[in-house]
Amino acid sequence: MKVLNPANLRIPTERGQTPCLLGSRCRECGNVVFPKMPVCPDCHRNATMEEVELGRTGKLYSHTIAHVAPNGFVAPYFQIFVDLAEGPRIFSLVGAECPVEVGVLEDGMEMRLIVEQVADTPERKDQLTYKYIPADRGNGSPA
Amino acid sequence: MREVAIIGVGAHPTGRFLDKSLKELAYPAIWDALNDAGVTPVEINVAYVGNSLGGLLTGQEGVRGQVVLQHSGITGIPIVNVENACASAMTALRGAWLEVASGAADVALAVGVEKMNVGDSARTIGALSAVSELDLADMGLQFTTSYAIHPKINLKARMQEYGWTRADFAKPAVKNSYNGSLNPLAQHRRKLTIEEIVQSRIVVDPLTLLMCSSISDGAAAAVVCSMDLAARLGSKSKVRIASCVLQSGVYRLPDDGRPDSATTSAFAAYEKAGIGPNDLDAIELHDAMAPAELMLYERLGLCAPGDGPKLIDDRITTLDGRLPVNPSGGLCSRGHPVGATGLLQICELVWQMRGEAGARQIEPRPKVTLAQNQGGLLLGQDSAVYGATILKS
Repeated sequence: MKVLNPANLRIPTERGQTPCLLGSRCRECGNVVFPKMPVCPDCHRNATMEEVELGRTGKLYSHTIAHVAPNGFVAPYFQIFVDLAEGPRIFSLVGAECPVEVGVLEDGMEMRLIVEQVADTPERKDQLTYKYIPADRGNGSPA
Repeated sequence: MREVAIIGVGAHPTGRFLDKSLKELAYPAIWDALNDAGVTPVEINVAYVGNSLGGLLTGQEGVRGQVVLQHSGITGIPIVNVENACASAMTALRGAWLEVASGAADVALAVGVEKMNVGDSARTIGALSAVSELDLADMGLQFTTSYAIHPKINLKARMQEYGWTRADFAKPAVKNSYNGSLNPLAQHRRKLTIEEIVQSRIVVDPLTLLMCSSISDGAAAAVVCSMDLAARLGSKSKVRIASCVLQSGVYRLPDDGRPDSATTSAFAAYEKAGIGPNDLDAIELHDAMAPAELMLYERLGLCAPGDGPKLIDDRITTLDGRLPVNPSGGLCSRGHPVGATGLLQICELVWQMRGEAGARQIEPRPKVTLAQNQGGLLLGQDSAVYGATILKS
């Protein structure tokens, strides 16, 4: 297994740690962006960006089901935007444990990050990436 | 800056041409434009060739412009290759315009060409995904999705906010399919009804198949020169480029209050042309997905937020209306060969302004027109490219 974009994702090596995304925070204006950038896209200063861990949790901003797919993906599949707790609004996918059905996701719901293969296809099964699932899934609460 | 005229335009029909290569698609468009302008290849000083997907889909990664133009007999001059996603051809036109406006060239050629039908639609969808930043494309973000739920447009949210329905989403496609039915160059020439559009299969919820532009091959070209030279050449057309604005997207934080980039680019074009949205007589705009037309009405300053469907209900933007939009049929009916679209829009507006649009001719002839174009996706919630060109006759 290879990580799709290793610079974007920190997979823990020690027990008890959880995976997270890696972004940048501007020391001058406080903006947080994902993925990492060396220059703040808002105040445009150079070398003010520091690496930050982010994206362990977020709120579902929007979601849809795609009924067509490029090679390497299988339709239907969820496509989502998530508002990360730290600020950025990012595109992501949904963990395979969620059935791809209307009503499984609801905008505004709390989400948490998981790491799994991009897709269960010959092209993408060996690539790991970040996805999101409803925060209460797999924690003993009703999904 | 010198004033610049478009003195010739040409287009290849838009559709599915599996056996034709990029250069074969471009050749008739280029020669129609040259003949229309009354110039020969040796009079062209410089050329810009727009194309987006040719590297991935045909394998011709480099020098596509030189390959395409040599086939049409245009060699030995500066040829600039332009890739700017769905705004590639618009960007090529801007290059040609600047060459003439600056005085560097007297006659310049802009070409846009795209070949999307390669017998494998999943490969084409994959290539389209790659006009997004790779971090997005790698994750399987599709362009259709970007219209359905992307923060910059988010049609699902508009349904909540404005009470828009799927029938509202279908209205631009109904209007544009009628226009397309009158356009011999259009890819889809069948008039559609709201019912069949809403009931066609869902591609990416809430977008159905007939709300989406389809995979398309095509080409378009324009010859531009200085207004002085146009007079000396006795060109039949005196369509002037009043402004040609190209912008890139900005990194947006959620709800940061920055104005929309389609708005800022269009209003920059209005200002440079010394007009406002009320002065426009016709518009070709970027309806890659039909309901995007409703959002663009707002963003181009044509109506208040949420009022888009009314412009169609009240027959303002229909072919017989006060401000016809997408008389060609737009991207959904005329077709959207992505790297040619920007110049296909220009061709349509020039034909309309000259009174050469046949059965779909707008009456009275439009004198001030806008071509609005955009493309690509960046991380940070914006399209990569926005274009707005204003023509005056």
